[in-house]
Amino acid sequence: MNPSEQKRIAKLLKQSLPKVTDDGAHLGRDLWPAMLQRLQQPDARTAWFEQAWFNQPWFDWALGAAVVAWLAFFPSAIPVLLYHL
Amino acid sequence: MNKHPYLRAYMAGIFTPSLVLLLVLTMFIMVRLVFQVPIPLERVIVFPMALVPNLFGVWNMLYVWYRGRVPIGFHGALLPVIMAPLGALIAKHLGVLTFGPQGITWFQQVTTPYSMIVPWFCAEFFATMVVYYLVWKYIVGALNRVLEIA
Repeated sequence: MNPSEQKRIAKLLKQSLPKVTDDGAHLGRDLWPAMLQRLQQPDARTAWFEQAWFNQPWFDWALGAAVVAWLAFFPSAIPVLLYHL
Repeated sequence: MNKHPYLRAYMAGIFTPSLVLLLVLTMFIMVRLVFQVPIPLERVIVFPMALVPNLFGVWNMLYVWYRGRVPIGFHGALLPVIMAPLGALIAKHLGVLTFGPQGITWFQQVTTPYSMIVPWFCAEFFATMVVYYLVWKYIVGALNRVLEIA
């Protein structure tokens, strides 16, 4: 693309874009009250698996301990569990 | 490293059951040969050896396919919903699980009376889901991160 073509394209682009005037630069209304209202709304409902206590290490330890305790009390379940692993 | 994500997912999936299979096989052989418990080993081992690793691999491919919208632990915990009936069906077909007049018998050794079948099944199913949840969260999830597919 030579310099004359670049100038021509630049001119065409300027013509195609509307000019920004002082009137158009101002918004028709104040957006801050709506933004404030949005900020004060409670958080969107999180999925049950995204809740904090599910992601805590103690929860996984508790689950593991429950399974170990169950297998200790009912060792006959061990072969069936191993069969499914 | 963006090539073949499903192949890598499959390989990450089969890693854990392939390792656990050694443990399971060792335990069953110990019980069968050392303690002389008459477990039909050759029939018992079919399901953990042939189907479980493949199911893990395919399940992990499915996780990669839907781009992990559910945490991987919960995704893995859902696998027993498919595997438990499938395992029971195969066990019944191979004679590993038998229905007697008093209750059901696993491996020709462990009998559960019919009166206890519901709590026993619920507890067993819950334990399996918990084990799967932990395995998928900490082992398969870590492997997926190492292989850059999660």
